[in-house]
Amino acid sequence: MGKLSRRELLFGRLRAGVSRAVPSASTPPPPDDGPKVAVIQGRHCLTYRELMCSTCYERCPEKGAIVIEQGIPQVVSDLCTGCGDCHDVCPAPTNAILMLAPRPTINEGKP
Amino acid sequence: MELERRDFMKLAAMTAATGLAGSMASRGSTALASSQPPLPDRPDIPGVTWEKAPCRFCGTGCHVQVGVQDDKVVAIAGDRQADVNKGLLCVKGYHVGMILYGQDRLTKPMARRDGELVEIEWDEAIDIAAKRIMASDKKFGFYISGQSTVPEGYAAQKLMKGGLSNNHIEANARLCMASAVTGFLSTYGVDEPASCYDDLDHCDTLILWGNNPAEMHPILFSRVMDRQARGEKVTVIDIGSRHTRTTERADHFLPMKAHGDLAIANCIAQQLIEQDAYDHDFVEKHCNFRADRDPSAKFDSLIDHDTYVAYVKEEGATGLFGQAISFEQYKKLVSYYTPEKTQELSGVPAEQLRMLASVFADKSQKIVSLWCMGMNQHTAGTAVNNLVHNVHLMSGHWGKPGDGPQSLTGQPAACGTVREVGTLAHALPGGRIVAKEAHREQAEGFWNVPKGRVNPKPGYHTVKMFEQLCTPTDQGGDIDTIWVQVTNPGQTLPNTKKLFKAKADLKDKFLIVSEVYPTATTELADLVLPAAMWVEKNGVYGNSERRTQQWFKMVTPPGEARDDCWQTLAVARRLYELGHPGLKDKDGEYLFSIKDDDGNEVPYWEWEHYYDINVDKDLFDEYRQFTFLKHKNVAPYDELVKHRGMRWPVIETEPGTFKETRWRFVEGADVYVEKGAGIQFYHSVTKDNKAQVWFRPHQWPAEVPDDTLSLNLVTGRVIEHWHSGTMTMRVPQLRRAMPSAYVEMNPDDARDRGISNGDIVRVTTRRGELELPAWINGRAKPLRGNVFVPFFDEAAPINDLTLDAVDPFSKQPDYKKCAVEVTRLDQPSPYSLEDAN
Ligand code: SF4
Ligand code: SF4
Ligand code: SF4
Repeated sequence: MGKLSRRELLFGRLRAGVSRAVPSASTPPPPDDGPKVAVIQGRHCLTYRELMCSTCYERCPEKGAIVIEQGIPQVVSDLCTGCGDCHDVCPAPTNAILMLAPRPTINEGKP
Repeated sequence: MELERRDFMKLAAMTAATGLAGSMASRGSTALASSQPPLPDRPDIPGVTWEKAPCRFCGTGCHVQVGVQDDKVVAIAGDRQADVNKGLLCVKGYHVGMILYGQDRLTKPMARRDGELVEIEWDEAIDIAAKRIMASDKKFGFYISGQSTVPEGYAAQKLMKGGLSNNHIEANARLCMASAVTGFLSTYGVDEPASCYDDLDHCDTLILWGNNPAEMHPILFSRVMDRQARGEKVTVIDIGSRHTRTTERADHFLPMKAHGDLAIANCIAQQLIEQDAYDHDFVEKHCNFRADRDPSAKFDSLIDHDTYVAYVKEEGATGLFGQAISFEQYKKLVSYYTPEKTQELSGVPAEQLRMLASVFADKSQKIVSLWCMGMNQHTAGTAVNNLVHNVHLMSGHWGKPGDGPQSLTGQPAACGTVREVGTLAHALPGGRIVAKEAHREQAEGFWNVPKGRVNPKPGYHTVKMFEQLCTPTDQGGDIDTIWVQVTNPGQTLPNTKKLFKAKADLKDKFLIVSEVYPTATTELADLVLPAAMWVEKNGVYGNSERRTQQWFKMVTPPGEARDDCWQTLAVARRLYELGHPGLKDKDGEYLFSIKDDDGNEVPYWEWEHYYDINVDKDLFDEYRQFTFLKHKNVAPYDELVKHRGMRWPVIETEPGTFKETRWRFVEGADVYVEKGAGIQFYHSVTKDNKAQVWFRPHQWPAEVPDDTLSLNLVTGRVIEHWHSGTMTMRVPQLRRAMPSAYVEMNPDDARDRGISNGDIVRVTTRRGELELPAWINGRAKPLRGNVFVPFFDEAAPINDLTLDAVDPFSKQPDYKKCAVEVTRLDQPSPYSLEDAN
């Protein structure tokens, strides 16, 4: 039986028959230079304008990595694997999700 | 058309310039958003010129500012001067500019030769279309759209009814708001909402009847959410069969079974009467009572509910306008719908029903009811529309700002082009019907055609028209040619295998399709005409709140794509040249003649000359004369140019000064209401200025789940996509956000069938099967016993599976109810299609 992961679900993997050429992502995926974590920029996110959106939350493959509070999404950095899916699917006019190097924790580099 | 790297950069720039520019600043904001400074009216980008246009997509009717540079749309911003959206747009609206620039735009006419579409020249294409229509002018159907512009609709209407004496003209709005129309007509005697969006800024309670505005009319819902964010109290009551994004923001969710709405609305009336909480004064002054049949014709005393239902079943209904009944009889019939009985019929707990009734009983509250496809795509759609008007009339929650029923339309010109221009098989412009001699004569007068030119017999409604196309000629299929404009019936008609795809085997049938991209409809087309879209042409739309909106052509269409309206008029001219007598008026002049200031005929049917004059203005101002009879006065074209839409009736208060109307039938707001009347339904069915309160019994859907197919199938849209995805699937951001269809299941139903999230499953109805991924606990959650499948995905044609049963009055099909089963692929199919027949 076919089974799609959450990442694949809705990505049309089974749709080989229809290939609509669409330009590739307008923002190139982040270069692979080390671990990343997703950060949502409120000034670009639709939910900050009373426009309901939850696409990043719906499509994040890590349970709990994005939570929605009062309609507004937030990334739980500890659970985020940096896969970049949320960035790829964000439909805001200016992509609201940045993939950043994780912030060093307080103890980092110290013995 | 290859998308060059340079163009691609522009698209990227379009996105960036779009931003959330112009949004919300004047709207107040949440604490989180308040740090954002107000934005300028539109981004200041060197070299970019800006013009207004309504958004191409939904019936909300937001306005955008379109930024143009070097003959390309390069930026979109919300229009802050527009009352509807005050600068805000939804996710589709922000990306609307990109719909023009998909890579596979149709740019050259094509004709089918030996099974293949081959490119031809325009002159030949017009010739093929005209000769085909000439040869079978009575077997020809014109199928247009709630996304056609008003002039496009008017030109098609005049060609068909005023030229060819052929009433087979329909629009896809038949599938979307026909039941709202029959509801308004039978309740108020005239179509279209009396209220407007301003009500959303004033209501205390918002009641959603099978409606998901957070996804389908996002800007309207954001108006209410924004009030809540500013600390105002607005109670949202969501009645539905699916837990949606809207439900997340609702205070109460009333979980409803299919067709429960019929019982719920009756229950509110029952409670208002039982508690003597109905508005005696309003009912006395403004309401009559009505039903399919008046039982007093046969029975000596008042009859009860079941006797009435049996009586009407036996004798049949008397038509859309029914018969008068007494208040006492109404009271007796509706008394059946106690909260307990209604719980049984609708699934909504009795205490929630009492709560809902108490909201209507409270005169201090202002209540808006919103509905759209949930109530319209319904085999008792006319009935449920009547019933929701009822509860507002009975409770007197009617005709004050923030207090009244508001029907929403899905499409941007379902009102403007279809309801007002009357591009339906039975209608004439301005609320007229072909069956009425006086109306035909008026139309013949405006068109200057001989008396008798307009055929008195209504044409085929949409489902019938396509059924006749798909029926072999020797078996009575007497439609042999259909011209489709601005819509995609190959994907959106119900039961598409029967009503559309069957045409493939009928070699003598002919399909003409004006389109912008390849679709399921062009796949079967014999002639494809590449069309200009949105700001590549002039246009006029009319939204859900009676707002007529005009825009100008801003960029050149790609390749040889040309305006739909030009296509219609070029074929009309060719028919004239071929000698079709209907293309001459009664003085022997060309039916669509336009003269310049010196009295010379303008040859606008030649594409090079089409924009020598403004054909839209000419057609619109001609159409405008039709709008006064039913007090739907649209503004003159030149006045619309100055506004972000104007809500009719638009009144000329003094020469050259025009004023729009926000609330119809209400003294002070509507000039046609007599002084002192307060509220006056001046097109009343009963000619006494009163509205009709209808008794309409509960009934079950046309197809209900059984042991084999044990679930109910609901179809609909998602926020990212517009209808069949022809435009939005070409916008990268929208396509990535929602790339393909799925079947949304209730977790319990999925568990019972051993289905988990992401499984590919088989979806089966009596009409076909489809494999789809299951989505569980995703964006929305249907109630137990229901599944939801969106219809935007061309690769997953769910309408192959839907039912083509229609409402008896509106002839609108029901896309929200049919029996379905969902099974794992390693399990046998529940239903063998051979057995089904
Ligand atoms: S980067 Fe991946 S894991 Fe992290 S929030 Fe986005 S989708 Fe979830
Ligand atoms: S997908 Fe983008 S716009 Fe939507 S909620 Fe997430 S960050 Fe906001
Ligand atoms: S799609 Fe509808 S709600 Fe969204 S911007 Fe366009 S008109 Fe407004």
